[in-house]
Amino acid sequence: MSDAVIGALSFPVLLGLIFMRVPIGLAMFTVGFGGLVFVNGDAFVAVARLKSETYTTFSSYSLSIIPMFLLMGNFATLSGMSQALFKAAESWLGHRKGGVAMAAIGACAGFGAICGSSLATAATMSRVALPELKRYGYSGGFSSATLAAGGTLGILIPPSVVLVVYAILTEQNIAKMFLAAFVPGIIAALGYVIVISIYVRLFPASAGTRARMPYIERFKALFDVWPVLLVFGTVVGGIYLGWFTPTEGAAVGALGTGVIAWFAGGINSASLAESFYVTARSTAMIFFIVLGAAFYNGFLALTQVPQEIAAWVVDQGVSPWMVLIFILVLYLLLGCVMDSLSMILLTIPIFWPIMMELDFGFVSMMDLHAAKLDTAIKDGVSAWDGLIRGSIPNLSDAKFERLLDKTNAQAALLGFGSVADAATLSLSQNQIIAIVNETTPEMVQQARDVVASGGELSRELLRELNIRAANESALNRINIEQTAIWFGILVLIVVEVGLITPPVGMNLFIINAMDRSTPIVETYKAVLFFVASDLFRVVLLVAFPAITLFLISWY
Amino acid sequence: MYSIIYKLSRAMAYLGGVMLTFLIVLTTASIVGRSLNGVLHADAVVSLMPDLARWLIDVGIGPINGDFELIEAGVAFSIFAFLPLCQLTGGHASVDIFTSRLSSRANRILQMLIDILFAAVLVLIAIQLFAGMQSKLRSGQTSLLLEFPVWWGYALCMFGAATGAVVSVYIAVLCIASAATGQEYLPAMDGADH
Repeated sequence: MSDAVIGALSFPVLLGLIFMRVPIGLAMFTVGFGGLVFVNGDAFVAVARLKSETYTTFSSYSLSIIPMFLLMGNFATLSGMSQALFKAAESWLGHRKGGVAMAAIGACAGFGAICGSSLATAATMSRVALPELKRYGYSGGFSSATLAAGGTLGILIPPSVVLVVYAILTEQNIAKMFLAAFVPGIIAALGYVIVISIYVRLFPASAGTRARMPYIERFKALFDVWPVLLVFGTVVGGIYLGWFTPTEGAAVGALGTGVIAWFAGGINSASLAESFYVTARSTAMIFFIVLGAAFYNGFLALTQVPQEIAAWVVDQGVSPWMVLIFILVLYLLLGCVMDSLSMILLTIPIFWPIMMELDFGFVSMMDLHAAKLDTAIKDGVSAWDGLIRGSIPNLSDAKFERLLDKTNAQAALLGFGSVADAATLSLSQNQIIAIVNETTPEMVQQARDVVASGGELSRELLRELNIRAANESALNRINIEQTAIWFGILVLIVVEVGLITPPVGMNLFIINAMDRSTPIVETYKAVLFFVASDLFRVVLLVAFPAITLFLISWY
Repeated sequence: MYSIIYKLSRAMAYLGGVMLTFLIVLTTASIVGRSLNGVLHADAVVSLMPDLARWLIDVGIGPINGDFELIEAGVAFSIFAFLPLCQLTGGHASVDIFTSRLSSRANRILQMLIDILFAAVLVLIAIQLFAGMQSKLRSGQTSLLLEFPVWWGYALCMFGAATGAVVSVYIAVLCIASAATGQEYLPAMDGADH
């Protein structure tokens, strides 16, 4: 049996074990271990790998973000912020038709901004919102469904544990992933609000309204949620602006949320211990799957199966869009029986190499050249301004002198005097760029003309303007990153749908456990409306990748 | 017996939580130090109050040296320490929808097989971690910045790994007994958090 055959056979074995209730991490570990033994002919290599592999897998700086975010989420549940968020949302929305349910969605979205877990969001918000919904006459099934759907916002809106794992698996920038998730998260919340307003019109008996609040009360309630904004802004903003690494951001967020919970009186020795236990259980579960996945993927990589599959898919010449849709549908089906993190750790190492090879044409060579020329012109102008001013930030004096000499020489060559005379000569932008880049104004104009007419710059023009990294491989890298971000957000949504679809939607069970008086069948019926909104959103984001990607700069 | 194992697992998880909290505070302190250090080196501050700035920098206001290494070693300890509680309370994610139709006897036998496999894997992991520790001890490898011996990290993890192995063997033994007699010896599991 060749290695590739062994690798391919490992899939059905693994799925068989998982469907036989073997914990997913254990199943992956066992199949990976067994596979290594099979391929190597003896157990020596597999056993020897264990000497350091568990330690190196667990002692990972980038993965340490996971327990920190989990602890942050647990502190968030103790912070009393769920109360404040719901009050604020209720004061603004409560008087509308279905308004209290809309407020629950709004509060979930807000809570999702400081909590990266759907289950914690659903559970915490239910504690606050379920009694209120009941009080204003909302039917049990509709209330539970609303909170189950709202809970998924915990993971759609950054910070998000699932997104972190995806980013690490595909070696993407976590900050960019968070930023990309933001708009789809808002769209999700809006979609749920629309679902609610449709639902209460279809079934008017299922909801009531409450009295309108005066604006002064509304603003007061809104002001009370400032700690949420502060923590969210610091964590996501700080990571994005490069103040700190994602792991550091998680630490700051966990500490900040802990401090808020402390001041709210939510932290005592019992609740702190409980936070540790809940974090411990989730963390251990996730890392055992990570370990299993590391072993299994190590084995798969040895057999070359992921590359073979990717090559095979590309050879078939199917449209990339068909492949994408196929994968997303597969996730929706798998999501009916499996939790989101397990699915991602199990499938991304196989699906990502395929997605990487597909070309969705996000950025063309033309776009790249236009952007590069734009940057070259901006850089040139700012360098020129710096030379006139007498200093350029981050450039040593010696280097500055050398640049000045070079530029003076070029200016003289082109007949524009020297940098010192610049003030007296009114040079055009083309002339400035030509001087700084040691070329001629005609060349600069030619490059502008090419880009304006929608063409690609010739190799000569690129060289003349000192434009680098404008070739096929650079373009490829950009497109792979765009695909990774877009695909990641889509996967995030489809795996989260599994949380609210029968038969094993975890969010449904969590909320059902809090409200025993509502039969779960009632919740199933109402939740289908929210699932429909999820599916509609997936279609929307697939059809218009720009919704996800417009915030992400690629040059 | 169960209550001893339960208390032990909770104690380990608590220690892991304390370590995690320590790492969180350490990381934040390092960021604060790094930002302050940047401020102290800024032109305005250096020209306005050079002595104070110099003194504060000398006192050690700055990023914590080797915070990266401490996080890596510390978080490994935490995760190993978290394992026993997850193990004991059935916190591992699994797909139980297809096996729910099996008879309770079949389910017991299946659970026994799973728990034996789990125990075997966790015992193997603990033994190999110990072997790994010994080889790091022999090689004398140290971390890059703080130069603490790498085997210290392994040694810390041994506590969690060993407890995890003990817990998993305990569960496996109970499940074997349960499969043989048809009685439940473990309290109902909490199920996994997803």
